[in-house]
Amino acid sequence: MGRGSEMVGDEIVLRVENIHKRYKDQEVLKGVTFEVRRGETKVIAGPSGAGKSTLLRCINLLTKPDKGRVWLEGVELTDPETNINKMRQKIGFVFQEFNLFHHLTALENVMIGLTKVKKLPKDVARKKAEEALLTVHITEDLWHKYPAQLSGGQKQRVAIARALAMDPVIILYDEPTSALDPQLVGEVLRVMEELARKGVTGLVVTHEIGFALEVADEILFMYGGRILERGPPREVVFSPKHEVTRKFFENITKLYGGK
Amino acid sequence: MGFWEEFIPLVLHGAVNTLWVLVISIPASVALAIALGSARVYGNAPIKAIATAFVVTFRGFPLVVTLFLLFFGLADLGIYLTPYQTATLAFVLCGGSYMSEYVRGAIRSIDIGQSLAARALGMTKFQELIYIILPQAIRRALPGLSNEIIYQIKYSSLAFVVGYEEIFAVSKTFISRYFMPLQVFMVDAALYLAMTTAAAYGLRALEYKLRIPGLEMSIR
Ligand SMILES: Nc1ncnc2c1ncn2[C@@H]1O[C@H](COP(=O)(O)OP(=O)(O)OP(=O)(O)O)[C@@H](O)[C@H]1O
Ligand SMILES: [Mg+2]
Repeated sequence: MGRGSEMVGDEIVLRVENIHKRYKDQEVLKGVTFEVRRGETKVIAGPSGAGKSTLLRCINLLTKPDKGRVWLEGVELTDPETNINKMRQKIGFVFQEFNLFHHLTALENVMIGLTKVKKLPKDVARKKAEEALLTVHITEDLWHKYPAQLSGGQKQRVAIARALAMDPVIILYDEPTSALDPQLVGEVLRVMEELARKGVTGLVVTHEIGFALEVADEILFMYGGRILERGPPREVVFSPKHEVTRKFFENITKLYGGK
Repeated sequence: MGFWEEFIPLVLHGAVNTLWVLVISIPASVALAIALGSARVYGNAPIKAIATAFVVTFRGFPLVVTLFLLFFGLADLGIYLTPYQTATLAFVLCGGSYMSEYVRGAIRSIDIGQSLAARALGMTKFQELIYIILPQAIRRALPGLSNEIIYQIKYSSLAFVVGYEEIFAVSKTFISRYFMPLQVFMVDAALYLAMTTAAAYGLRALEYKLRIPGLEMSIR
């Protein structure tokens, strides 16, 4: 079990039920069901094309699922009556390619959601943004730099601060370290781990086995648009039920040198 | 009174009239261009269709035809525009339509990730456009817009066809009295060159001021 587990309550904050998604004649998600409890960190792993990114985007409806339902704190996001923009404020999203706003400084990137979406007064937003940046170890000397002036690791930490500052119910991470140079991966994983320890709920698509073993409460192994196998990290990684799962983690361990 | 004593005040009066149209028509063209370009990418189907039809129409008409339509055509329908109003409106319709294509292209060139990140924060499509996409797109469109602005300064001479007393109109009248076309048109050319050069410098300074540190290649 991950060490974050002492923070995990019984309250389910995210429920995903029977999600289906098809692109033309290719069925990318074939009925995915799981739930995330408050304070929990769940890792999703699986081979390329398994549908991991599509699944994350179906959760905050950046992609519309064809079938199935999603609830956040009991509110059904997939209900057409639900104000999705309002609900998205509560779902942090961290992208593989960072997607910081190029024309805004680090501080402004974190502030804009607070001022324009949450409509907080500027000074309150600024205070909150500064706190979030300090939490991800972005120090004051970097606050007024533009994304193009930051390293990959710094960019991704600013992106995490941007999500965190909104006080989200959950943060979704889509391969947050895959675009980084190996020596920068550690600083981002460390921040994610610290957040998990503080009880920030997370759903993380990653191939970082070390992170999964140390931090995750559960691994969902996706294969061909389904959750093929799920369970405590050690079980899924070291003694999986399926041959494909075993092969996958064997290859990953070789590639990433998991602990 | 000699030629110069008479011509210089007259042509300067024309230049003031020219500028008086441009100070309205250039900002208004840019504003219209941003609205049309945005509507053609972000609008729903009917808005897109209307914006596209608008651009195709006013980009398709020769400017002279637009000027005549607004001046004589509308008069036929009982709407009387002054030469000043006609010229300003025609330049805005024509310039805005041309410029909108630079804006549309710039919007489409923005990485989809910027849009996804905005939506993921809970922004509406409109907030995404205003706060995230346009500030970046306008910067990219600026060199193209500058080109059109310089065109507009030069094509403002066409306002003479509806009897607006701008630089070219007063010069033509003047030549019919003193037949000195070389001197007259040299002065006109110098005035237009001064205006376009000033605009070019101003726009370049704006481009420099709006640059995003670290992101763009140096423009100086
Ligand atoms: N917008 C789209 N249009 C068409 N097909 C798509 C689209 N997005 C994803 N797909 C397809 O859906 C499948 C799953 O893609 P997805 O990005 O969810 O996989 P993934 O598990 O995240 O893979 P990776 O590890 O490479 O990121 C792929 O075969 C992909 O080609
Ligand atoms: Mg992916």
